Amino acid sequence: MIVLADVISATIVFAVPLLLVAMGGMFSERSGIINIALEGIMIIGALMGCLMMRWLDAAVVAGQLGAQLAMLIATLFAGVCGIVFSVLLAFASINLKADQTIGGTALNMLAPALAIVLTWVVQGQGQTTILIPTWSRITQETFGITVANPFLQNLLFKNSYLTTFITVLLFIAGVILLYKTKFGLRLMACGEHPQAAASVGINVFKMRWAGVMISGFLGGIGGLAFTLAAGSGFQSSVAGYGFLALAVMIFGNWKPWSILGASLFFALFKVIGAYASSIPFMPQFKGLEGVSTYLYPMLPYIITMILLILTSKKSRAPKAEGIPYDKGMR
Amino acid sequence: MSEYVIEMLNITKEFPGIKANDNITLQLKRGEVHALLGENGAGKSTLMSVLFGLYQAEQGTIKKDGQVVQINNPNDANALHIGMVHQHFKLVEIFSVLDNIILGAEPNKMGFLQKAEARKKVVALSEKYGLQVDPDAKIEDISVGMQQRVEILKMLYRDNDILIFDEPTAVLTPQEIDELMEIMRNFTKEGKSILFITHKLNEIMAVADRCTVLRKGKCIGTVEIKNTTKEELSRMMVGRTVQLEVEKGAQNLGDVVLDVKGVTVPSKLHSNNAVKDVSFQVRAGEIVCLAGIEGNGQTQFVYALTGLDKMSAGSISLCGHDITKAKIRDRSKLGMSHIPEDRHKHGLVLDFSLEENLVLQRYWQPEFQKSGFIRSQEVRKYAEKLIQQYDIRSGQGPITAARAMSGGNQQKAIIAREIDKNPELLVAVQPTRGLDVGAIENVHKQLVAQRDAGKAVLLVSLELEEVMSVPDRILVMYEGEIVGEFDPKHVTVEELGLYMAGAKNMYREVGVGTQVPEKEGNEA
Amino acid sequence: MKKGIISVLASVISILVGLLFGLLLLILVNSSQAFPKFGELLTAGVSNLPKLAKVLYQAAPLIMTGLAVAFAFKTGLFNIGASGQYTVGAFCALLCAIVFQLPWWVCLLASFVAGAIWGFFPGLFKALFNVNEVITSIMFNWIGMMAVNLLCMNLKNADGKLVMLPIAWVSSPIKDRTAALSYANPNAIIPKAGLDKLFNSNYMNISIFIAIAIAILLWVVLNRTTFGYELKACGYNKNASIYAGINAKRNIVLSMMISGAMAGLGGGLYYLSGTAEYTIQKVLLPMGFNGISVALLATSNPIGSIFSALFISYIQVGGESLQPVYAKEMIDIIIAVIIYLSAFALLTKTIISKYIRTDKSNVNEESKAAPVPAAVTGNAEDGAGLLPDTAKKTTEESEGVEK
Repeated sequence: MIVLADVISATIVFAVPLLLVAMGGMFSERSGIINIALEGIMIIGALMGCLMMRWLDAAVVAGQLGAQLAMLIATLFAGVCGIVFSVLLAFASINLKADQTIGGTALNMLAPALAIVLTWVVQGQGQTTILIPTWSRITQETFGITVANPFLQNLLFKNSYLTTFITVLLFIAGVILLYKTKFGLRLMACGEHPQAAASVGINVFKMRWAGVMISGFLGGIGGLAFTLAAGSGFQSSVAGYGFLALAVMIFGNWKPWSILGASLFFALFKVIGAYASSIPFMPQFKGLEGVSTYLYPMLPYIITMILLILTSKKSRAPKAEGIPYDKGMR
Repeated sequence: MSEYVIEMLNITKEFPGIKANDNITLQLKRGEVHALLGENGAGKSTLMSVLFGLYQAEQGTIKKDGQVVQINNPNDANALHIGMVHQHFKLVEIFSVLDNIILGAEPNKMGFLQKAEARKKVVALSEKYGLQVDPDAKIEDISVGMQQRVEILKMLYRDNDILIFDEPTAVLTPQEIDELMEIMRNFTKEGKSILFITHKLNEIMAVADRCTVLRKGKCIGTVEIKNTTKEELSRMMVGRTVQLEVEKGAQNLGDVVLDVKGVTVPSKLHSNNAVKDVSFQVRAGEIVCLAGIEGNGQTQFVYALTGLDKMSAGSISLCGHDITKAKIRDRSKLGMSHIPEDRHKHGLVLDFSLEENLVLQRYWQPEFQKSGFIRSQEVRKYAEKLIQQYDIRSGQGPITAARAMSGGNQQKAIIAREIDKNPELLVAVQPTRGLDVGAIENVHKQLVAQRDAGKAVLLVSLELEEVMSVPDRILVMYEGEIVGEFDPKHVTVEELGLYMAGAKNMYREVGVGTQVPEKEGNEA
Repeated sequence: MKKGIISVLASVISILVGLLFGLLLLILVNSSQAFPKFGELLTAGVSNLPKLAKVLYQAAPLIMTGLAVAFAFKTGLFNIGASGQYTVGAFCALLCAIVFQLPWWVCLLASFVAGAIWGFFPGLFKALFNVNEVITSIMFNWIGMMAVNLLCMNLKNADGKLVMLPIAWVSSPIKDRTAALSYANPNAIIPKAGLDKLFNSNYMNISIFIAIAIAILLWVVLNRTTFGYELKACGYNKNASIYAGINAKRNIVLSMMISGAMAGLGGGLYYLSGTAEYTIQKVLLPMGFNGISVALLATSNPIGSIFSALFISYIQVGGESLQPVYAKEMIDIIIAVIIYLSAFALLTKTIISKYIRTDKSNVNEESKAAPVPAAVTGNAEDGAGLLPDTAKKTTEESEGVEK
């Protein structure tokens, strides 16, 4: 039972970055810009969020600053830095009409290198890991309560971060923004038929900038959320999560609710991969080295592949007419 | 108040290397239908795009009610109550009708959409003008005629009173055209003014009050319709008398070349079949035309015929060989040539040079390759021969990038390639689309030359003029079926129109549910 | 010809701006050492023969991964999976060398085949299911890396010893890398042909010549054969190639296989040098991603890939001299900036050709390429399809920049 609580809470905490980043990708692509740079944006967000936590550490430890308030600052900072980084993509692909995939690839190469260099600069030579302070987690002490039930304890407080709650809010806001506002309607029009949007006086450039910047914001926070979930500190990488999020977005048909489902699904497999050794019914392949480090972690990637193949046929149905306007890929 | 609602004075608009509008003046009176006549490429759409704010003119002024105005974008145009129905509809396919109408002018509170309010207004407008639409239907699910109504409602929703219609009749049936004319007249009665872009003389004579004629970017003149004739307008438009007749030699029918039996093709969009049980033959020495309104299964039929797509039932044989399941390459080897509908999608590899494109169907033949290596010199020679023979003009001859060529010359290159293969059957799909009159005549001559040389030609066309003048036999296609077969000498355009619109069927009663229009014909 | 010069110029400008950016970054991080270190970065590669040998040694696999990406680009595919194909190729080469004790050329062949197989899957999924090859090949990068690690850590010989690791051959505590070929199978080391003595460096062998020969071969295939014609037709316009009776699906799979084979061979060339052992990795090998840079800088030209690989290898060797004052990832930043700039190569090219035009007002290629015979004159209006596309692009661009 405890394992179940662990699996559920870990699934949620891993689904959070996928959901955020895939939502970000959705906003960008629905405005018409393929955002392959999500991986890079996540790295930058994670880097800056972790650095901010590091800078606030002293104040929090000294009790001058509430831990969760510091987390809020770090989260927002990660998002803002994500926006700043995404501007590079927006400028190249919208204003300069550069190849979106190549521009995104360049940013994906730039981000980890920049992260390492900056980590060096801040922490000193050879210090490539930014550690995450323990106060980042929401614990029973945060609320000053005690939960006796071990199941609930694990479920609620084992992997609890502020980012999870922020994500819930952002997700709801995202759904409303896309479907219930003038902005969302215009954004989608720009991704579907920019000439039509332009003919009714919508500034396609502006909308696409907005789409990319939203993806920068969500991607940046997603990067921080990933690093928190991974738990071992920031090492200038988000382990391909940006690309996994792209796959989630495609699998989720560029629609928020489906993306939510898809990210929970993928996170579950990720967690099964990570927790395989402690889940009773998973085969352990006695005599094999590296099962938990290499074999099970392959799962999410393989599942992603299979699902993309399976859903690719469906996405030919008229329903998938929501594929973003672009001559590029897909 | 000025007599004119809109005046475009001495407008000049240049594109790199091309003067699209050269000192053009156009004045629109209040409450009139003003036609803008010209061939493809005369500068009509450019002029209207300037008025609508999509382009900015280098020289000239625009006046609204006598006041000089600046129109820098569609918003400015909208603020001046100028609206436009574009030739290619500007509709978002996955949006509902309502969303498309309000897009860009959304009623909202703090950015949140207020659709209920919009719906009321749209329903009221559609009732007032008899433009029935379902506000919740998705654009991709409704007919082209219906989509045009949405475009018109978009203008009305914005309270526009200067309405631009850019080639609105190209996609409509003759009956739908009549309805549109009626709607236009209703608008003018209310004091709205209409600019009507077209190259169809009958429509101008039927609905317009005045007409401005453009030719090659220049303004030829403005005339009162009641003081002019079709012939005069036509002379103004092309600068010489048009030869509507296509000269053909005596017919010399040979063996059956193409035999199509019961071909059925499933639709990609809906569960019905796009092509239903189509059977016909084409013999050597004749041109058969597959006529019909766009989107009635012609494209899908041609895809099945040429092997680009699969059919679900039926058989096709070419010169006695069953090619029902043959590969594209094998069909080509057996003597089928195909001038495709979309020259950029299928006809050309735009990033290849002209010479590479000219051998697209033949690069694998021994003439052009030796043990897997391309014989570049042979390719060059062959390309030069075709360029000479078919008068294909391009900047650098054989090595010009196909992308850098004009549309007309791109089409010439495709036609040269397909005809020079010396096919038994030439499938030509809208071969004159987007070409000017001179080029059209040339294409027609090439088709007739094939026929006279004893080859079979299957022409797929949407242009009634072409349908009436080029073929020896006409087959009309409606909703995936052949609904009639005619000799062009013994049929009128009006009669064809009834078949094309599904009001008549030679082979069975027109069933209940098929719309039978109340009015017939198109009396000018 | 002029087009070629403009492409080269555009790349050179990207490189210069990228380097300048790098210099600025060095100054920002540590201004006192910036200039001397930057000088070292630029000159280290030719400072002595062993350094030059290292440039050539690293350039060989880089040319191969560059060719992999470039070849795929030419055929309309983005092979971001070169890293995985490279890893799998390297593993199979080492497997043949260490476990099966085969000679070097058979091992190379094995890496070629393994890379092709790893490229086959994304190609197949693209062809059959239209799944975006970028996503698939990324997934295959991770799957490949993890599978290789798993195999390295578990393959055992008859004695029950881990055969891929040093422990099966010598007494060594090292468990995170494969056995060195010098004791495991010297026959599998790529011949040095005396070059090691000439350059006074153990790194030097004939792999750079193999890579160059393959680049030339690939150029010939792409530009002189019907097969290359079909592949390019497919890449430029899939629909038109289908219309011309070309089997587009087969070509997609073949392109990805050839592309993967190139990357796989790159892995073989690097790890059969006798100077490198495969380290159990936690992150994807950068060689495959650097291949993207190589291909982009070379505008996907196989011959150009030789030069751009040499350049990137050169500044990477220079980058080592930055340590320990600066992180060597500075070089990655410079390369990323260069690629970012080359992403809008089209714009750079337009600016260059405009400059050339104003410079010499006489006839140039651009104006010749846009013919304006009477037939075209009016075609500006109806937009789609009638206006020559190049002309349309420029109008769009100028509008875009104004806004």
